Amino acid sequence: MREITLSQAVNEALAEEMRRDETVFIIGEDVAEAGTPFKVLSGLVEEFGTERVVDTPISEPGFMGLAVGAAMTGTRPVVDLMFGDFIYLIMDQLCNQAAKTHYMSGGKMSAPLVLRTNMGATRRSAAQHSQSLHALVAHIPGLKVAMPSSAYEAKGLMKTAIRDNNPVVIFEDKLMYNDKAPVPEEEFLIPFGEANIKRSGADITLIGTSSMVQVCEAAAEILAREGIDAEVIDPRTIVPLDEETLIASAKKTSRVIVVDEGHQNYGITGEIAGRINEKAFYHLDAPVLRLGAMDVPVPFSPALEDITVPTPESVAENARKLMSGEMIHAA
Amino acid sequence: MPHEVIMPALGMAQDTGRIVNWLKAAGDPVKVGDALFEVETDKATMEVESPADGFLTDITAQEGADVPVGNVIAYVSETAAGGSSEATVSPETTTHESAANTQASLPEGKAVIMPALGMAQDTGVIVSWHKALGDKVAATDILFEVETDKATMEVEAGSDGYVAALLAEETEAAPVGETIAIISPTPPADPVQRSIASSGTVTAAPVPAPVSEEKAHSKDKIASEKATEAVTAKPMVQPVGSRILASPKARRLALEQGLDLKNLVDAGRPQPFHVADIEFLKGMPKQETGKAEVQSRHITAEVRGQGFAEFVDWAIENAGLAGERTALAGFAGASLKQEQPVVSIESFGQRHTYFVSAGPLKNVVLGDDDTTPDLIVRDLRMSHLNKIQLGAEETPVLTLTSAADSLIITLECAGQQLAADKALQLLSEFAGRMEQPLRHLL
Repeated sequence: MREITLSQAVNEALAEEMRRDETVFIIGEDVAEAGTPFKVLSGLVEEFGTERVVDTPISEPGFMGLAVGAAMTGTRPVVDLMFGDFIYLIMDQLCNQAAKTHYMSGGKMSAPLVLRTNMGATRRSAAQHSQSLHALVAHIPGLKVAMPSSAYEAKGLMKTAIRDNNPVVIFEDKLMYNDKAPVPEEEFLIPFGEANIKRSGADITLIGTSSMVQVCEAAAEILAREGIDAEVIDPRTIVPLDEETLIASAKKTSRVIVVDEGHQNYGITGEIAGRINEKAFYHLDAPVLRLGAMDVPVPFSPALEDITVPTPESVAENARKLMSGEMIHAA
Repeated sequence: MPHEVIMPALGMAQDTGRIVNWLKAAGDPVKVGDALFEVETDKATMEVESPADGFLTDITAQEGADVPVGNVIAYVSETAAGGSSEATVSPETTTHESAANTQASLPEGKAVIMPALGMAQDTGVIVSWHKALGDKVAATDILFEVETDKATMEVEAGSDGYVAALLAEETEAAPVGETIAIISPTPPADPVQRSIASSGTVTAAPVPAPVSEEKAHSKDKIASEKATEAVTAKPMVQPVGSRILASPKARRLALEQGLDLKNLVDAGRPQPFHVADIEFLKGMPKQETGKAEVQSRHITAEVRGQGFAEFVDWAIENAGLAGERTALAGFAGASLKQEQPVVSIESFGQRHTYFVSAGPLKNVVLGDDDTTPDLIVRDLRMSHLNKIQLGAEETPVLTLTSAADSLIITLECAGQQLAADKALQLLSEFAGRMEQPLRHLL
């Protein structure tokens, strides 16, 4: 199968959906000629014109509000938010308006829009351009949240998101735009709420989101050399969450580590760990462990920034502790 | 008058010092400035000098011993035989320093302290005094009973004499090391009885009080404290009534396989137990494992509000519900999480059996009463009964009783009828349906 980058995968998904459905359009800062700072959208304005690839002034609340209104009146906007960190600026448009449109209109209206944005640290972008804020929106009923872990997921989930009749937020890891993965040339969609078991194992379950899936896979490699058979699961969408697959795995291995790049406090690691605790309690041989980003503003210093996020080594280290029972002894 | 030789504080954060060796023997004549012993801390080793001229007597700390800072470890007396046996009646030496000011009015005699019965114990509660003020006591007489979070035990007087002071009241908690009684060698002229609360010295010093003074004067006391340790050693290994630590999965497996985790405790396996310990337990010689197999489960849930009654009224009016029993059977059947369950409803001495299918309540149909049910719902809401413990029957039974403003649901079944997690799930699902019927139907 051919391999393409995550950037190309997103670009393909958008182009395919824009060809298929003329109500789909892109709006945001530097999306047209610049093709975004990460060059994800290069070439789209040439094919679809500035009517459907709309550059806006620097006003996130402005273009987000515009997109919500456009979505409510018959189009399918794909809003480009240059950095996930700017999501604070559009919380009202997203959470108070788009997320509640279907509910508060009694189903007479909906806001079928996609918010494309990014996450991920270790790009030396400092505290205001390195956050992973998916937990903020995952908390809000009415929003779906997708977290692609490779080019394959980025394309399949984007196409599903555009066809969804309600708002979807997609967080792409900005460190992964140039990572290649096999992506079929023929059309495919990835349904929401279906986790992907990346690697099957018997001893411990590593649940990772976005780039943490690769981290978990690398940790599983390390552990395999030590005779620990780790299962790696990518939920792919955290709302809706494929609880069934996660819980079945927890019951099988009886030990779970949840790894995510958002801050650990009050993050989605806690949510997933909590659900497993509630529904697989009598199958657990160790506490469900959370591994998130350190609860500090992301440092600019490379030496400091690198230690704030989970790594294959830190995941493997914690897995060993769970296997040996050390974690329970500490409890 | 004898001079105390105490363990000095050599560092800012030093709690104890170790006696490396005694440079003088008991009975040796010593002069001020003579090195008496060598002490080692985490910082340094140094010699400690005699505080006075006289004879070294009453050495209570042996070489190699770790002694809390401030504790008296010997005396420098006026005679080689040591004046301290007489000194016991002298106020200067019988009351230890920390208590000297506040307890100036206390009778003379040997202090009885609150013993440490556990590793992390700060206080002990006096359950009862076995002797009254003025009573004559022998060293081995039980003086009081003390309770800690681990155990309750009796403590001996530790020396012969008379109860001259009781410084804590029954049910009162006394800090470990605190003087709680005084045994005087002669009948007390002025006995004192008071509570810790009134004495104002409650938690004066969490540092182990200089208790070795008593030790210096009473070998019996030392012996009785050793006996105390011996008695407490056992409860520490197997605390009475305390919880066994095990992972949820280990606990479940033990329950399912009729294994008793206590056997692991008795075998000295370190807690908490994991699945690996269950494997070990399976390999252990069988003892009392049959007991776990015939055990019955008894779980209770409480549901507040009138959710169920309101739902039934509404559903009969608007949704064609046949009656309350149908709803009960439907809810119980759905909570059982199995294909096509059969549920019997027992109320007012009658039994009705229902076949429950997935989907709306109208799929619940009245069936043949001879069919063996998977679950019985016994409706005793209209009776005066409220606590039910009948033990396991042939079929798991959910009993409904009513309390003041709530509904009590009791699940009773045999261990092999429903695994622990299934039983818990059944009851919590059913209780949830009874509390918010609509939510579960949606």
